[in-house]
Amino acid sequence: MVLLNKILTKALIMKKIYLTFIFSFLGILSLRAESLTQLEGSFKPGPAIILIATLVTFVLVGIFFRAKDPADYYAAGRKISRVGSGMAIASNWMSAASFLGMAGMMYGFGYNGLAYVVGWTGGYVLLLILMAAQIRKYGKYTAPDFIGDRYYSRDLRIVSAIFTILISFAYCVGQFGGIGLMFKWILGLNYTLAVIIGSSVVLLYTLISGMIGATKNMQIQYVIIVVSFLIPIFIMTFKFDYFWLIPQIGYGAAVTDVIQGIPAPNITNGVSLVNAFGHDFSIVPSPEFAMPWDPSTGTSFFQWVAICFSLMVGTAGLPHVIQRFYVVPKVSDARWSVVWGLFFICLVYWTAPAYSTFGKLLSSNPEVGVLAKDAIVVYTAQLGNVNSLIVGLLAAGAISAAFSTVAGLLVAGASAFSHDLYVRVINPASTPKTQLNIARIGTIIMGLAVTIVALLKLGLIAQLVSVAFSMAACTIFPLFLLGIWWSGSNRTGAKAGLFTGIFITAISITYFIVGLSGGSLPGQTFISYWLNVWYFAWIGAPLAIIVNIIVSRFTTPTPLEIKKFLAEHVHN
Amino acid sequence: MESPDLYNFSIFRPRNHHGKKNRNVIFSMVLIWAIAVFGFQFLLRGIQKSTPEKALTMFESTWPGVLTGDLTPVNYKPFLNSLVLVKGKNIVKPEDQEVLSDAITCLTFKVIPDSVKTVLLSGISDLKSLKAKLIQDKDQEYLVTKKMIGEKNKELTDICAPYSDFKYGSLEAVIFINSLDEKYPESFNDISFTSLPEIMKLYLTHNQSILTDTKFLGFPFHYFYTAVFLLILFITLCIVYNILIEWRLKKDGIVE
Repeated sequence: MVLLNKILTKALIMKKIYLTFIFSFLGILSLRAESLTQLEGSFKPGPAIILIATLVTFVLVGIFFRAKDPADYYAAGRKISRVGSGMAIASNWMSAASFLGMAGMMYGFGYNGLAYVVGWTGGYVLLLILMAAQIRKYGKYTAPDFIGDRYYSRDLRIVSAIFTILISFAYCVGQFGGIGLMFKWILGLNYTLAVIIGSSVVLLYTLISGMIGATKNMQIQYVIIVVSFLIPIFIMTFKFDYFWLIPQIGYGAAVTDVIQGIPAPNITNGVSLVNAFGHDFSIVPSPEFAMPWDPSTGTSFFQWVAICFSLMVGTAGLPHVIQRFYVVPKVSDARWSVVWGLFFICLVYWTAPAYSTFGKLLSSNPEVGVLAKDAIVVYTAQLGNVNSLIVGLLAAGAISAAFSTVAGLLVAGASAFSHDLYVRVINPASTPKTQLNIARIGTIIMGLAVTIVALLKLGLIAQLVSVAFSMAACTIFPLFLLGIWWSGSNRTGAKAGLFTGIFITAISITYFIVGLSGGSLPGQTFISYWLNVWYFAWIGAPLAIIVNIIVSRFTTPTPLEIKKFLAEHVHN
Repeated sequence: MESPDLYNFSIFRPRNHHGKKNRNVIFSMVLIWAIAVFGFQFLLRGIQKSTPEKALTMFESTWPGVLTGDLTPVNYKPFLNSLVLVKGKNIVKPEDQEVLSDAITCLTFKVIPDSVKTVLLSGISDLKSLKAKLIQDKDQEYLVTKKMIGEKNKELTDICAPYSDFKYGSLEAVIFINSLDEKYPESFNDISFTSLPEIMKLYLTHNQSILTDTKFLGFPFHYFYTAVFLLILFITLCIVYNILIEWRLKKDGIVE
């Protein structure tokens, strides 16, 4: 009863906050929309107010649902429902890479960009079938917790904790890049300042809230992400005379138009279709946009398969994704939350290719100039002459996407730092308060380090994020897969497999850094293609699994109590 | 003492009837998933054919004549058209765009009469200045400069129309005018044009097959399959898996 009262009180307070924001938003709508003259460079007041309102909401939600003890901080007190958890999975998952990067990849690399769409959704099938319920049954808080316990190894716990931090780190870099781009677009700031401001805000609310706040925030963020992403595409399919009731199908005719070309002037129902600059809605025949692994995109069939495979396997090995299954009350909830999560994710993923298609059509006039691929979603809405406030909402959605993921990643990274390194290794006698403080210090250190690397602009958002996937696929995924499904996988085998994955990762990243700095190592071209930093898991993950199996076969078997626990608790 | 072998577990060798059924469901799901995702891409790769666009055929049939200086409207207009169609693709690399712009400009100045050359050169120069100004301008000034650019584009398009066949308002005319430059190689035998045939081939040849040419709900079939259908399939697989597993648990009387 007391709990119910608390929930009702919180709900009333939240209602007041939302009503305030809704009226503020209506007030903004009454303002005269600024006429679009340039794609970026100037301060945009409407979108800026929407952004600030959104960020204030996140922080308030963080405060109202803040963590009170370590269990709340790490696993949201296991109070989240199936649909709620699904929304949180989707929000946590849909980062700047999904919101901005995916459309950017399709805009720049055509059909090969679809490898990201398929890779980032198909991995959930593996996650459900091979991991979700079993992880929940195992009953640990974090990925290193599972690995340390399953492989009865302190060393493996430490190494996997370090890799959890590195994976979260690599993932965050792309997000901070996306945040920087959107802050730059809205506030008219330079990229450096934009990244610094964005990272400060996301750090602030992650510190205040922990995962329980983050989970509530993620549900709100999901709604913002979906609404902001879908509205412009409904408007554009309607405006440019495609089947707008289901734009995720309606844009198919636009894909065909890109392939076949649309001659100018384009007059439909007596109305001349133009973009925001007044250019005709026309394009020269551009089959390279949709034809598979087109030579002009500089991509190949192998790369499509390698990227797709790496992303899929990486999905099933990402610590912050796996961690979501600890927050559901029951094992069956873990399974159904994947279905809900995937459905919510697909709502956005079905739409992303539509942005790249309209982006192609609307930017075909040479006078539009060269557009940054990572911001093509926002540019497309601008070029489609969508109301600037709705474009502002779209940018706020992009920031929400990045924020929700960063929050999850920072919590995963901080958990690995405090729970798996500090509590388990350095100071087992620490109090819950100390643990929480250590988690917060870990979050700050990681946030600052990510900000610095994000300022270097090492690649496109989706590409940067895919490094994290390949790392997870080579290191964490094999340990979970074999740890759950083969009792014969032992500590020595796990160590050998993990170091194989780390070795492949190290080679790929070393060659990437050397190549980026203009240098060359032996076999630079060969390694850069076959072990590319964006998809090295195509070989790294299977190798790590094979090595784990071979070494396990010839070394001391897994202890009886581990086998017994797996058989009785994880596999019924 | 319990034997360690009693609790040995592997997905390939389940310990009981429930485990075997569970394994069969998992393997079936993974198989469907793998064939649907990768099997289709392998099929796409297997049946693809390198297919040229019409513009490549136009280019290849006129290029030898252009090289020898045989510039009649019968060969230079299709040639110019093919160059413009490639230049209009926004995937073209900057270095290739430069070659294409040079080719378009070189051809234009070869076919227009001397009396028009001076006017055209001055127009190109004005247009360039206006574009530079546009980057700096804000608000009202921006709109004025934009209008002036539009007028200049029209003027230049009209000057070249008898030789290019591009009418004002067409996308080709915009691409054409935006490609013209004050500086350009004098002849198509210039070393900078040696890469032109390769550039045209790169951007005008595509991997096509029955799967890419068939339309489904407005999409090319392969695009629909990958961008829309596979995602539906993933959700369906997840739902079916959950239903099957929960049915199996209930049937075997297992409480998780």
